Amino acid sequence: MSSAGRGTGSAPEGSDPGVPPSTVRDEAPTAKSKARRIHPLAVLSFLAVIAAWQASSVILGETVGYKRVPGLEDIFRSFIEYAGYWQGGLGAESTRTGAEPTNWGATLGLGHNTFVTMLRTIAGYSIGVITGIGLGFLIAWSKIARGVLTFPAHLARMMPLLAMIPLFALWFGDSELGVLTFIAFAVGILLFAITINAIGNVPLHYWQYARSLGASPLRAYARVVFPAAFPQLRGGLLLAVAFSWSAALAAEFLGQQVGLGHVLQSALYYASTDVVALTGLVVIVFAAVTYLAANKTLAWLTRWAE
Amino acid sequence: MQDVDSSGTRSRNDAGADSGPPVSAGSHPKAQEHSSPPAIELRSVTKTFILESGEELTAVRDASLTVARGEFVCVVGPSGHGKSTLLNLIAGFIEPSQGEIFVNGEPVEGPGPDRGVVFQRDTLFLWRRVAANISFGLEARGVPKQERKATVERYLKTVGLEDFAGAWPRQLSGGMRRRVAIAAVFANEPDVFLMDEPFVGLDYLRRAQLHKVLLDLWAEGGHRAVFMITHDVDEALALGDRILVVKEGRIVEDVEVGLPRPRSTYMITGEEASIIRRSVVLHFGDLEIA
Repeated sequence: MSSAGRGTGSAPEGSDPGVPPSTVRDEAPTAKSKARRIHPLAVLSFLAVIAAWQASSVILGETVGYKRVPGLEDIFRSFIEYAGYWQGGLGAESTRTGAEPTNWGATLGLGHNTFVTMLRTIAGYSIGVITGIGLGFLIAWSKIARGVLTFPAHLARMMPLLAMIPLFALWFGDSELGVLTFIAFAVGILLFAITINAIGNVPLHYWQYARSLGASPLRAYARVVFPAAFPQLRGGLLLAVAFSWSAALAAEFLGQQVGLGHVLQSALYYASTDVVALTGLVVIVFAAVTYLAANKTLAWLTRWAE
Repeated sequence: MQDVDSSGTRSRNDAGADSGPPVSAGSHPKAQEHSSPPAIELRSVTKTFILESGEELTAVRDASLTVARGEFVCVVGPSGHGKSTLLNLIAGFIEPSQGEIFVNGEPVEGPGPDRGVVFQRDTLFLWRRVAANISFGLEARGVPKQERKATVERYLKTVGLEDFAGAWPRQLSGGMRRRVAIAAVFANEPDVFLMDEPFVGLDYLRRAQLHKVLLDLWAEGGHRAVFMITHDVDEALALGDRILVVKEGRIVEDVEVGLPRPRSTYMITGEEASIIRRSVVLHFGDLEIA
């Protein structure tokens, strides 16, 4: 019974007679802790970006009636502006009724708008994932679907996404359906292309093996081709998380009355670069949180992969 | 059929010259005793591929073969001479250009659970744990859960991996993965086992261990027909009832291995085995080494 394989994840051949799998570690602990350690250069570069931003703010000043680059202090001070995006309730009056803006009102305003955008992002992302991957699998599975859908799907993929916003606005107006459809479209069209590629890379012998064991074509497709292709979808699914946030903000930018995109649109109207910057920071934080959550979930789902 | 040639081997035919006509590889004596159809039968099978350049490549030429139920047939020959094509034809992964293929008297019309295939490449489903890999075929065929569980446990025990039922394939060594792959195919209880160099890349000791596992499974399964491709003549001598030599798409030799079972290292390196080895190896050409 050798211990050589314990740290590497695969049992050594010499241990064939019985190293229980519970003793086989998935990963060497040193590699894991190394991966989690933040490189000093990363900290330095982060500080350099902050310093450059602050320096730009000082140098450019208020050149055109508003600050092109708001300073850090301006950004944090602009938090109170979110009180203007609260409809009232929960102990904070709406500023539209003449009430003074409060930090509690700003917290509720930021929380509400972030919550709405996040819900839209998650819902649109989920619809896009299901339709994009589903369409990819359908096209790979069925010759008829391939004939009918391949050309329009690839055509849609090549359309510039931002140029599609006015079209969606005209089709759906400022409805919730329009926002969700746009996010789903952005995510779905990305994942469609990745799915087609991932299925194409599944080794033929998996299919042959499953069929020779008695699996029907449908079972072989669902139980073998799909999971075999899944690790290759992982990168696309993560990319689509960031994509879905961008799409949500872009969709909200046109006509929505609530959401971070609406906040950005109002801030642009009043040239409040500080609110734009703060909203950008909020988006970065929440996009990072959803990305990490998605990454963790996908890592668990593909924990079997080599 | 079983002539004794000048080299002393019991050949099922008198062909064998490289440029000679294809051999109609005969049936096992056991098959002739029974009225039931042979496990595998090829009738004048030819397979031609059309290359991207438009040229035709004939991988299998006019191959006729009969494999009896319970017979262990090993196929040797140079790389790229049609062995795997022959196996893929029997498995139903590809269709013959000419000729007919029967398994248990039924024409082959695509892959099916009556023909279990052990591939040269690793085919374990990485997303299924070891036990789930072995039960895949049973699930596909609708075997009840309790029966599945019992079958999986039995085969895990036979291949010595009962402690690894819950492991992921990536946690296993190469030899262990091979054992799982073989167990998964045997657990599905096909009538015919098709193996394409199942032990390639393993060292001598691991191969010897896996030969024993394979023979145990073969015995446990009631000695179903096995059609195994190998590059190793010693492996063919250790395992096979017959050795077929495939060269340039033709079955050019069909030799019966008359060694009793179980076979020891002494037996497969002995005089009788050497005569068979020589007659097989000479089909590869009289190579001048060093």
